[in-house]
Amino acid sequence: MIKVEGLTRVYGTFTAVDDVSFTAEAGKVTGFLGPNGAGKSTSMRIMVGLTNPTKGRATINGSLYADLPNPGRHVGVLLDASAQHDGRTGREVLTLAAMTMGLPKSRVDEMLELVSLTPSEAKRRIKNYSLGMKQRLGIAHALIGDPKVLILDEPANGLDPAGIRWMRGLLKEYADRGGTVLLSSHLLHEVEQIADELILIGNGRIVAEGTKDSILASQGTAGQSLVTSLDNEALTVALKAKGYSVEPIGTGMRVSAAPAEVGKAALESNVILTDLRDGGAGLEDIFLQLTAETQRESVAPIQSEGVSA
Amino acid sequence: MSAVSVAPSTPLPSATKVPFGRLVLVEWRKMTDTRAGRVMLIITGGLIALVAGIILLVTALSDMSALPASTWMSALSFPVSLLVPVLAIMIVTQEWGQRTHMVTFTLEPSRLKVVFAKLLAVFVLGVVTMAIAVGIGAIGTVAGAAIAGSDANWNVTGEALAWTLATQVLYLLMGFGFAMLLLNTPAALVIYYGYTLILEASVFSALYFVFDWAQNVFPWISMQVAMMPFVAGNEMQASGVAVEDGALGIARLVTSIALWVGLPLVFGTMRVLKSELK
Repeated sequence: MIKVEGLTRVYGTFTAVDDVSFTAEAGKVTGFLGPNGAGKSTSMRIMVGLTNPTKGRATINGSLYADLPNPGRHVGVLLDASAQHDGRTGREVLTLAAMTMGLPKSRVDEMLELVSLTPSEAKRRIKNYSLGMKQRLGIAHALIGDPKVLILDEPANGLDPAGIRWMRGLLKEYADRGGTVLLSSHLLHEVEQIADELILIGNGRIVAEGTKDSILASQGTAGQSLVTSLDNEALTVALKAKGYSVEPIGTGMRVSAAPAEVGKAALESNVILTDLRDGGAGLEDIFLQLTAETQRESVAPIQSEGVSA
Repeated sequence: MSAVSVAPSTPLPSATKVPFGRLVLVEWRKMTDTRAGRVMLIITGGLIALVAGIILLVTALSDMSALPASTWMSALSFPVSLLVPVLAIMIVTQEWGQRTHMVTFTLEPSRLKVVFAKLLAVFVLGVVTMAIAVGIGAIGTVAGAAIAGSDANWNVTGEALAWTLATQVLYLLMGFGFAMLLLNTPAALVIYYGYTLILEASVFSALYFVFDWAQNVFPWISMQVAMMPFVAGNEMQASGVAVEDGALGIARLVTSIALWVGLPLVFGTMRVLKSELK
């Protein structure tokens, strides 16, 4: 379990992490989601003692990281897969870790096999590794001490689709065995399929947290429909008579009612529908909206999918 | 994709504190497991062999008598003192340059322990490389005497041997201190060689015998000049310079070492302990 309490890190006048508190529980994958520069990496560095917090603290199974005896055996850390010496081979990197943690050499081979790095790839220097291979090596490095907690910063970066699916399975199995996983990403679709809990962070602050469904519900975007019909005017009249608001979008309309209600109104007024779907914002819309202030690019309004799209 | 499980096939040993000796072994391995590290050691070994070979060749071809052990020792310790400090510098700066410090300090959060482990690995490196140079020098002394057909001249005192070793270790520690202070390979190399090769080897020694003020000031600020009364007292006397190997000489020696080895080590360690690793 990772417990973060009131974590704050200030650089001069810039607050990189602003009073962040959350708990990543055992047996669950917690996704740490935010745009570039939102404070994810800084928070993770504080958790493992590489950066000192200005205020607050982070504990792992109740202890500060620095107080863990042989921390590699308790926490698997992957903060940057590129932060390995170019001149060492993949096998050497794992051997150094195994030596430090006091593990048998056989564990190195086990890990290489786990992350599907072949013996000839393991003999190559990191300089000749692709980002995906470095990422696999980094995951092997994090898992080699059989830790109870994993802290992974952007682990899917550089992995191909098959690699991402493989990693998802691996982390799921790990969490099912009772492990705690905290992984960060700036890509929502990478995280939403695997994370049990999501923490959305923007500008150093947590903007939303919970399960995917609870975040969707809390943002009140349920009960919206996108509809197109052969007679939009008649349908508009029927919907307005029921007290719903209607606004035209493209060739169709956005209605403040669930799709079932819109279908009912269409049936009653004998209007033929050509398209009807849930118009609630997806997690991505909420993510972009909540973190809009911190996005580098201005984001299109929430109706990312028009009716005629 | 992979049917292999995350769980270890055999139970792993229990997680106890990382013993200091293990950290030293890891740091020792890190000095020698990269191409840069290996190349430095191979070049050093090659230079020792080259110097020894040339001396023996000249001895064989000319009519001169065999060189004494002291000459062998200073000739062979030169390549060692020239190149091995690069390893003492890179054991620190590479961690920052390649950003492996993030791995090193997450596996051992006590930064002071890691600094001491590196320091001990560097110390052992200095002793081992110097032992090899001195050992080959001893073989060369015997071989040279056999070629020249004279008796081997063992004119190296235990004191001279100790000074050679101490000098090597002090310069390694100086390089190590600069490395921690600067945390950057090129900068640390420039400062280190700027001091040892330009200031000490050229500027200080050239001015020392020329100006009176230099003879009063340099022993306090130059390690090499401060050591001279202890390692080259006879030569100094021959050039008419007062040899201060009493309390004043020791005070100068301690001051110069504190200045070039002590201060960089202390401030460098503080920088390593405080810096944010990213």
